[in-house]
Amino acid sequence: MAITLEQIHYTYSPGTPFARVALQGVTLTIEKGDFVALIGHTGSGKSTLIQQMGGLLQPSEGKASVDGIDLSRKEKEIKAARGKIGIVFQYPEHQLFAETAYEDIAFGPRNLGRSPEETDRAVRRAMAQVGLDFDTFAQRSPFRLSGGQMRRLAIAGVLAMEPAYLILDEPSAGLDPRSRRLFFEQIVKSHKQQGMAIILVTHNMDEAARYAQRLLVINEGKLLYDAPPREIFAKYQKELEEVGLAVPAAARLAAVLRARGVPVPADIITEAELEKFLLTWVKKRGKK
Amino acid sequence: MLSDITLGQYFPGTSVLHRLDPRSKILATLCFIVIIFIAKSSASYILLCAFAICCALLSRVPLKLIYKGVKPVFIIACLTALIHIFSTKGGEVLFSYGIVTVTALGVEMGAKMALRLLLLLLFSSLLTYTTSPIVLTDGIEALLRPFKSVGVPAHELAMMMTIALRFIPTLLEETDRIMKAQTARGADFAGGSILTRLKSLLPILVPLFVSSFRRADELATAMEARCYRGGEGRTRLHELAYGTLDGGCLAVMLLLTAAMAALRWLS
Amino acid sequence: MLEVQGLKHYFTDEQGRTVKALDGIDMHVDDGDYVAVIGESGSGKSTLARHFNALLQPTEGRVLVDGMDTAAEENLWAIRSRVGMVFQNPDNQIVAAIVEEDVAFGPENLGVPQPELGRRVREALAAVGMTAYAQQGPYLLSGGQKQRVAIAGILAMAGRCIVLDEPTAMLDPRGRREVLATVKKLNEEQGITIVYITHDMSEALAAKHVYALEKGKVALAGTPEEVFSETDELERLGLEAPPAGRLAAKLRKAGIKINGNIIRDEELAEALWP
Repeated sequence: MAITLEQIHYTYSPGTPFARVALQGVTLTIEKGDFVALIGHTGSGKSTLIQQMGGLLQPSEGKASVDGIDLSRKEKEIKAARGKIGIVFQYPEHQLFAETAYEDIAFGPRNLGRSPEETDRAVRRAMAQVGLDFDTFAQRSPFRLSGGQMRRLAIAGVLAMEPAYLILDEPSAGLDPRSRRLFFEQIVKSHKQQGMAIILVTHNMDEAARYAQRLLVINEGKLLYDAPPREIFAKYQKELEEVGLAVPAAARLAAVLRARGVPVPADIITEAELEKFLLTWVKKRGKK
Repeated sequence: MLSDITLGQYFPGTSVLHRLDPRSKILATLCFIVIIFIAKSSASYILLCAFAICCALLSRVPLKLIYKGVKPVFIIACLTALIHIFSTKGGEVLFSYGIVTVTALGVEMGAKMALRLLLLLLFSSLLTYTTSPIVLTDGIEALLRPFKSVGVPAHELAMMMTIALRFIPTLLEETDRIMKAQTARGADFAGGSILTRLKSLLPILVPLFVSSFRRADELATAMEARCYRGGEGRTRLHELAYGTLDGGCLAVMLLLTAAMAALRWLS
Repeated sequence: MLEVQGLKHYFTDEQGRTVKALDGIDMHVDDGDYVAVIGESGSGKSTLARHFNALLQPTEGRVLVDGMDTAAEENLWAIRSRVGMVFQNPDNQIVAAIVEEDVAFGPENLGVPQPELGRRVREALAAVGMTAYAQQGPYLLSGGQKQRVAIAGILAMAGRCIVLDEPTAMLDPRGRREVLATVKKLNEEQGITIVYITHDMSEALAAKHVYALEKGKVALAGTPEEVFSETDELERLGLEAPPAGRLAAKLRKAGIKINGNIIRDEELAEALWP
């Protein structure tokens, strides 16, 4: 049970002067329960890739499937597959449309043909997951909420489809540090409790380092690296910079300390790890 | 992708027609449309066709593209021709079967009507092929300016067109994004009766309207912050200026009009 | 350049309640200064920004731009040509369908004649490094490039102060770096006054002065060193100190002695291994 992409190629407007190659031979598998971060600069092919995973674009070449369902089949047949994959696009609050929050969240499950009882249960659960109180918000107009609440409502609309795989495209863009932290706490909880696979597209290397178990780096339509973040951030600092990316702030700080002669191990990529190391190191040094 | 839609029909180039002032081109096109309706004799149609072919060649726009511009009215032109062929009585009978009679006069009228339509479209598409929408807007504004005193809001119209041109690609992109987002939520936009189809468009149209209003609001604030206060006292980075080419254009159009008038009333 | 005295901005929301978006702000921005305004969503940052070029009028208090009161109608255009705004969404502030025409929009509104107008547009595009894109359509540009075009539009009005309202919130890291580098360069080389509104602390590090807002009031003010050393207070405001500052604070709490205000990576390295 997995999302598998085999040798996916994709070209926009093929055969015209405006043809643009977006993906060239991407092969990867995302297992149930994975927490994957996908990084790459703008135009590297990230958004094309997630649209392939969600069956929203047909590959020019290659094969994409979800839990064994071939995504190149007809509209009707891949509808079942779409139900397994939830995609939260950038600025998801811009897709809200219904008269009440309840109706908006129920849109997905109803489209998937769920019964009214199932839908109701899914809506309540999704609202609880994103921290929107049912009694307070269910009958409110989506357009009367604050920016942060709208974002959470839109995410609930995707969660209500109870996808096995959740793709999040820059979900924390524009949020302040506190909202950002709260958001990820909720996502990590959903990931752990329901075993939902998460594919996090982000520009924020700290988020990738802190939350993902696996990191995909994409550049010019090709998969550059596919390994645990610790390995990639420790080994390929220079290569990442060359493709317009960076390492997490903690890894950068670690590098500065290392250059000074502080023996920080190469595999430290989060602030918590660096703090733990420095505490033991300073104390050890104090004893000498 | 988007670029082809944005530029409308514009085919970038440096031909004589491209270099003409947009005002000259707009006026020449209007003039040509009027002349088409003066044409009566076969000789005048031949002259018009020759002129149109010369212009098409001068524009250096590939003939394939010009054909594409004219294609949409091809069927209408053919239909018009057929109607005239079958409904016009008079002249030598070429063909007769039951109540259907085709006369020489009918064929002539049909051909002329079809030609009128095709020439009309050919000329206006030459205008859009050789003038970018932005320059065209400037031209329209400049031509309307004298009518400001009688209440034609020339500057406002031009500003609206400019902003529309500016935001067409943005809105197309946005529509695409919203459609994909709703498709990912299982929305189905094809199939069903007209009512269900219209209803299924709501999840796209509502967000699109909401975001357009937001954009309009933000744009208005940004324009205000940049000292926008209407057309009064504004200068322009690119003021339109007539050149020798435009003089030539004027001469050619005068000659053509005179020739057409002569063919109609003197012969 | 900018002088804010007891600025209050109240408005009435849909339920008819009075919202105190700004509740007594005092602020002073010198000519050539580089000020960062930080605060979480709803702290009043954006409302404050809109007072600097008279898009909003004070409910109480005063805002002076080069001594001109923003409440006086006759000062409006002089103020707006002097203080320019860059907004969050790069798409919604570009008016024209060609880059150079957009840069010319401001000076055209002011009635700047040719050839002065053309010169200003050229110089403004050069200052933000966008000369090569002068003839392009904005939809072909990246977010960072669009924001640079917006900055050029202000320079072409001969603006002396740029107020940027979360200009990088919608940009990728590359666009972020472009905008920050452009702002820094204009401040250093042309002495343009910068007011930079953000909730990203690493972007506020480049400023000379930092104001942290909370519920329409100034909660912290000072140099970046002073403000970002207050890690607990920042946390309470829903903000975060830069990583080096956070780490220094944690080490201190664990009983390790670290001297001085630490906010940058190099400073922490210096303190740990002098």
